[in-house]
Amino acid sequence: MDFTLSPINKMVIKAGKDFCERIVPEIDAYMAEHGDYPPDLLEKYAKARMLGFDVPKEYGGLATTNFNLILLIEEFGKTGSTCFLPLLMNNSVAETICHWGSEEVKKKFVPPLCDGSAWATMAFTEPDTGSDPKMLTTTATPDGDDYIINGCKRFISMANKPGYGVFICKDLSLKGEAHDSTAFIIDKKSPGISCSGHYELTGLDGADTCDIYFNNVRVPKENILGKPGQGFNVLLRWISGERIQQAAGMVGVGHQAYLESKKYSMQRIVNGMPMGYMQGFYWMLGEMKVKVDACRLMVYNAVCKQDAGKNFDTASAEVKVFTTPLIQEVTRMGVQFHGSYGYSKEYLIEKLFRIAMHQGVVASSLEINKTIVGMTALMSK
Amino acid sequence: MKIIVTIKQVPNVTKVKWDADGSLIRAGLPTIINPVDKHAIEAALQLKEKHGGEVVVISMGPGQVESALREALCMGADQAIQLTDRKFAGADTWATSYALGCAIQKIGDYDLVISGVEAMDGNTAQVGPQMAEYLGIPLLSYALGIESDGKKVQIQQKLGEVERKIEADLPALITVEKEINEYRVTPMDKILEAFEKEIPVLEADDVDAELVHLGLKGSPTKLRKVFSPKIEKGKVQMLEGTPEEIARQVADKLNEKFLI
Repeated sequence: MDFTLSPINKMVIKAGKDFCERIVPEIDAYMAEHGDYPPDLLEKYAKARMLGFDVPKEYGGLATTNFNLILLIEEFGKTGSTCFLPLLMNNSVAETICHWGSEEVKKKFVPPLCDGSAWATMAFTEPDTGSDPKMLTTTATPDGDDYIINGCKRFISMANKPGYGVFICKDLSLKGEAHDSTAFIIDKKSPGISCSGHYELTGLDGADTCDIYFNNVRVPKENILGKPGQGFNVLLRWISGERIQQAAGMVGVGHQAYLESKKYSMQRIVNGMPMGYMQGFYWMLGEMKVKVDACRLMVYNAVCKQDAGKNFDTASAEVKVFTTPLIQEVTRMGVQFHGSYGYSKEYLIEKLFRIAMHQGVVASSLEINKTIVGMTALMSK
Repeated sequence: MKIIVTIKQVPNVTKVKWDADGSLIRAGLPTIINPVDKHAIEAALQLKEKHGGEVVVISMGPGQVESALREALCMGADQAIQLTDRKFAGADTWATSYALGCAIQKIGDYDLVISGVEAMDGNTAQVGPQMAEYLGIPLLSYALGIESDGKKVQIQQKLGEVERKIEADLPALITVEKEINEYRVTPMDKILEAFEKEIPVLEADDVDAELVHLGLKGSPTKLRKVFSPKIEKGKVQMLEGTPEEIARQVADKLNEKFLI
């Protein structure tokens, strides 16, 4: 497969780099001070037209490839900032609604996600389940033309921000059926919704992850995404794309860990020469670079399948299985490379190390992806 | 409002080489849009957003200048025109101004011409004013801000420590300072559109330029010598003593150099 970047790809990277150099520092400074995203974050993305990559123009999107999106995300990853999570979410949820939604649903919910007037959310995880739809306890009870939602979703990004979320609930109208989860698009400011405070996370500094509670929240039936009973399918398809985008960001994290180490290797003088010239260190640099480059190729391979309209569920799981330990190892090596400074907040490498840790447990765990890859291998002819 | 922006592609390096005629050897060098020219494009785009119309970007240079023009389209320019001809080679600021002036006349029907104050490789700040002279239109240089009602244009002009407002009838030519605006991050939709646009390449004959005024032969400036300034390596002196003694020594040394 040829991964030569086109002039458009290169310009997307250039624009992303420019945004990261000129705009992200002020966003990051806000997030460090407030522990939350700036209220005008989506406006900034909308102004740079970074929302709705894989969304038709008629719904406010760009009608371009996911490949361009992951190139952009890699640039964000290099900053170590968490600010790209809402960018991912608005892109992936808008695409998901376009895939599953009726014309009315698409017209109503997708344009606000592309113009930045609504914050997107996707929610499946609950206090007692992260991957098993049978364990869902958030219920949707039919009531005339509406459903009544009750329950709690855990670790939900942007749950407390105005906008729309896709919430996967146990559909009580399907009681006893094999597939009883249904996806609902819910206005997060609906009466009956409340949120916890933010979780203090190891990395993802400034992320607004919290629990969201539903107390008799009324949702019209036309807000069902896909068909009743397809909730888990909606989630699985979304998360396949999300895993690739997350991995692209982590490739950026790994690449920057390598660059930070390379820079440090030329600054730190040991016995009269830059330490980078010592074999132990340039071997480390070589190893870091090779690992990041290999991860990038895995991401490119999976996203090309996605753009080609092929099934990319397993390819996406393979990306998670391959890149998670490697990028985490690269950032750990970066910390070692910097010695005690690597464990200090004075250096970016510390932040990169912490953010890399999230990949193994957020947007599906590393282990569940090993199950997907392993079972696929076992069942294939 | 039809606005023409002239931009220059410059090498993005600290060391350059020249040929025997004193012309920059550009082959193989990484290039960028002259930084202040991006502010000129931004100024034009903001005027267009306010008054409507179109933004046309032109640049004179070898074939590779196409990438600078493509980037201008990515920023949001409606059209880009490339001036490329061997006859333009070796042009000084006057011959460059003449060639660009001819192209602007050929495009015609414009309200404003905007350029950056100067290019970072030559730092002459001559091309803008010379284009205005050639075109016979008012020059408003060193702009920190632009206002227009569609008939007249007013700028905030930077003159060293002094600023003043000046006004002219349209059409006019404005050179802008980098402080005039913060240029936009290239929007993704414009990137996608930009690569679908054709960039016409005009030669000297296409813009009715007279050969006698073009290129090295048409350049009144004769270069006597071109050289890279020598970069002297800094010397480091370690000062010793208590912090107070060291601070006094630093102050004495700065005083010796008339720096404080």
